[in-house]
Amino acid sequence: MSANPLLMGHPLASTENARHALLYMCRIRKFEEAVEDLFGRGMMHGTMHLSIGQEASPTGMCMALTIQDQITSTHRGHGHCIAKGADLTRMIAELLGKEIGYCGGRGGSMHIADVDTGNLGANGVVGGGIPIAAGAALASKMMKKGTVAVSFFGDGAMNEGAFHEAANLAAIWNLPMILFCENNKYGMSSSTEKAFAIDNLADRGKGYGIPGINVNGNDVVEVYEAAQIAVDRAKKGDGPTLIIAETYRWKGHSRSDKNLYRTKEEIEEWRLLDPIPKFIARAIKEKKLTQEQCDAIQQEATDAIVAAVNEAVKAKAADPAGLLDAVFKKVSA
Amino acid sequence: MSDRMLTMAEAVREAMSIAFDERPEVFLLGEDVGIYGGAFGVSGDMYHRYGSERVLDTPIAELGIVGAAVGAALSGMRPIVEIQFSDFTAQAMDQIANQAAKIHFMLGGALHVPMVLRTPQGSGTGAAAQHSQNLEPWFASVPGLKVVVPSNPADAKGLLLASIDDPNPVIFLEHKLLYKIPGRDPVPEGSERIPLGVAKVVREGKDLTIVATGIMVNKSYEVCEKLAAEGISVTLIDPRTISPLDMQPVYESVEKTGRLMVVQEGPAHAGFINEVIAQMAGSSSFGSLIAPIKRLAGMNIPIPYAPQLEKAAVPQIEDIEAAAREIVKNWR
Amino acid sequence: MSFKYPVVMPKMSMTMETGELLLFHVKVGDQVKSGDVLFEVMTDKIDMEVEAPADGVIESLVGNPGDVIEIGKPVLIMLTETEVMAFDFGGDSAAPVAEPVAPVVAAPVVVEPVVTAPVVQQVAPTPPPVAQPVAPVAAAPIIVNTSVKAVPKARVEAANRGIDLRTVHPTGPDRTITFSDVNSAQVDPAVLKRQAANKALIAKGIEMTRGIAQASFNRRANANFDHAQLISAWAKVLRGRPDLAVHQHVGVSLIIESKYGSALPVFRDPDLVSVDQLRTLVASTTEAAKNGKVPIAMLSGGTTTIFDLTTYSMSSATPLLFPNQVTSLTIGYDSESTKNISLTIDLNFCDFYDGALLLDALIASL
Repeated sequence: MSANPLLMGHPLASTENARHALLYMCRIRKFEEAVEDLFGRGMMHGTMHLSIGQEASPTGMCMALTIQDQITSTHRGHGHCIAKGADLTRMIAELLGKEIGYCGGRGGSMHIADVDTGNLGANGVVGGGIPIAAGAALASKMMKKGTVAVSFFGDGAMNEGAFHEAANLAAIWNLPMILFCENNKYGMSSSTEKAFAIDNLADRGKGYGIPGINVNGNDVVEVYEAAQIAVDRAKKGDGPTLIIAETYRWKGHSRSDKNLYRTKEEIEEWRLLDPIPKFIARAIKEKKLTQEQCDAIQQEATDAIVAAVNEAVKAKAADPAGLLDAVFKKVSA
Repeated sequence: MSDRMLTMAEAVREAMSIAFDERPEVFLLGEDVGIYGGAFGVSGDMYHRYGSERVLDTPIAELGIVGAAVGAALSGMRPIVEIQFSDFTAQAMDQIANQAAKIHFMLGGALHVPMVLRTPQGSGTGAAAQHSQNLEPWFASVPGLKVVVPSNPADAKGLLLASIDDPNPVIFLEHKLLYKIPGRDPVPEGSERIPLGVAKVVREGKDLTIVATGIMVNKSYEVCEKLAAEGISVTLIDPRTISPLDMQPVYESVEKTGRLMVVQEGPAHAGFINEVIAQMAGSSSFGSLIAPIKRLAGMNIPIPYAPQLEKAAVPQIEDIEAAAREIVKNWR
Repeated sequence: MSFKYPVVMPKMSMTMETGELLLFHVKVGDQVKSGDVLFEVMTDKIDMEVEAPADGVIESLVGNPGDVIEIGKPVLIMLTETEVMAFDFGGDSAAPVAEPVAPVVAAPVVVEPVVTAPVVQQVAPTPPPVAQPVAPVAAAPIIVNTSVKAVPKARVEAANRGIDLRTVHPTGPDRTITFSDVNSAQVDPAVLKRQAANKALIAKGIEMTRGIAQASFNRRANANFDHAQLISAWAKVLRGRPDLAVHQHVGVSLIIESKYGSALPVFRDPDLVSVDQLRTLVASTTEAAKNGKVPIAMLSGGTTTIFDLTTYSMSSATPLLFPNQVTSLTIGYDSESTKNISLTIDLNFCDFYDGALLLDALIASL
């Protein structure tokens, strides 16, 4: 069970909620920074996809979800995991290939799942999680669980057949599903301008008969408010919603990205739209948090990540001995 | 002992119905499985008996359908997906091979995918290249999938029930020519399972071991009967599940007969049946062989349309018979 | 100085372990000349007259007619003035060493005994005129069984029963040996023993030849020559290069495979007789060798060896130089009208240039 059970509700509903929103955004930020650092030190294998700059979207979305509500995530999935309440040590441990990692070192960055927090897993295939979320929503409906399934995906995934098929299934079956697009402007190097012939991605919803909502993905409050509307619709049985959260990834697509397809100026512009100071200013203005509290929360997030890394580094490396047994779940007698 | 002679379509329907009755979380989804009763009539009247929620018609969207089944399986349901033709699994391959097969492993065992994907395959219907393939090697080469190839109604029933019970994704490949034919053996009443990974020794003999899959078991059986009348006795082994594969009976039989012939309908090149040959070649039973291993398989071509061409593309009874005679005659 | 020379039960086939002494042709005190018949022995396969390896006097008779005597054990002792050196590849340990005498094994069918003072010894720092019990060299190159097609169980069965698959007649498709071919094959105990002997022999050969620097030359030649022509031509070429010879004479050893083992009859100075005469001799000797009989006089004195692989449809094999031989020729199949001729030389005695010249000269004269 996660040490940090999810807190639901509007980020500005109370000091506690504001603290949660800020803490989780900071945790994501610090987590990604730690990953970048560990990678730079050669301690991490493979590749990584950082979501620095996008923290408000998963945080705002997940503040509208119960711990039972389910999500599917993407290759850029650390933020969704953390926002849904995953354990930081086990996440770092997974990235370091440790036995205590979420996947015992078998999945790595792109495959972290956490059953306890309703996280059905990140996904290495663009759009791979969208039909799965539709299926989770189908199960919820059939089993009358009253839960909603959220599929996080990027703008790139919206041109995959999987998006189309899943959106249509969710629509025709009226599934309690939220299609949450983090539009960070680029599918690897392809800008949305190049990859779409429509200006407003939310218009795609019309094609499936579902509402499409645009939100400022760098504003945790705005994201939450849209998410809550979508969750309410889903739980009432009114079917799926498409949310397009406009945001931006500050870092490259992955470690190998040289940012040849965008300008320094553009990145700088978006850095000024950093969701964390934006929320701090709002929380202070609305007297939910003081500057001191905000500083302390940021420090708390940093401390949590440092502690997680320290613990994970010491953990036992994943053991190849059990690999063959891990392929299939044992058939119970 | 029952003497109910069912077709494979009826047996599969019966197994699904038993599972539906046993477990509320079992449901069927696929194109035209509802009121239409399935493209090959397999779901039949189930829509009327279990309703539209459990016999769920889908749009033509294989990737979406399989993905939805994966998601539902991850979330407490036990979906049975019917893909109308195995050829169309190509549309859904990401969800089958990258998602369903790997989730349990990739996620360190946190989740599992208790899903059955049923799909008809095979040639003989004149539907040509995009509706006639035998695709078991596609699935058998993906770790994390179990692959079942039933050859008769009684096995199909027991194997499907075991597949639905299985906590892992199972690809269940039904040969469409078997749908309408009653099996040789009656289909037992009740809900007895046939465990996955246990080959069946269909008949025993001392001169030759034939390992055949799917419809080739039936064709080989006819050959065995004919040869038996002439004093040539053949052991016929039906692996039933090709992943996992049970080689033990094959080894034991070859140690007695010294001759091995393998038969599959799909193309020879990189076909599943080659796995049987490879495992035999690497086993200590290899030294028991008194004849080169004979492989009979489809030609390495897309399945053609015209009946005479289609027939020529895959092993026929006469081919199996001739090959069996030759191996027994030439190698002593 | 006279030497005690034990004439031992000869090893007449690879499989032979003992022989029965049939009768003596001599008695104590008899003066004998090299080549005189001393006694007759019988083995499971061959009856054979054992001849005196050198001139001398019969000192004593060791065995009695009717005795079954282990190979290498003395049958009689002669006194001789001639220094004799012999090699044995089969039962070397059995060879008794009679002091101060050079131990000698008469007539091993296997290989190449005897030579006068090998160069190796001449250059030795202290060359005592004493023959040493000498280690052997592989006799016949072995045809590996994988050159024979057989089903797996036939191989297993053949290995279990000690059947040489080359001796089994294939009845399966593509001349493959079937299980029943092996099953119905007569196990020839002689073959079994030969295989065992060959194994030991090869091991020794490897040991022995380790350290000899050798080089091989290969050229295609027209196939229109027979063994007599080849032997004669090769002897002529060698005679022209006495500087390369270790021996005074030229002795061409021809490897003949028989079911009793590899026989190596030596044609001594074959270039000094006419090719027609030689042809007659080669034919009769080959026939005799195939039946396990090689005149004892032809069992020694080889200075070069010819191995003809064409009867096995082989084109080449790794050649071996026998001890104290500087050259060997391997004849291989090349095409209907051509053959491969490989010359192997011992680089201790000749250089690459010599080798090339020798092969060139041989092919020119064929």
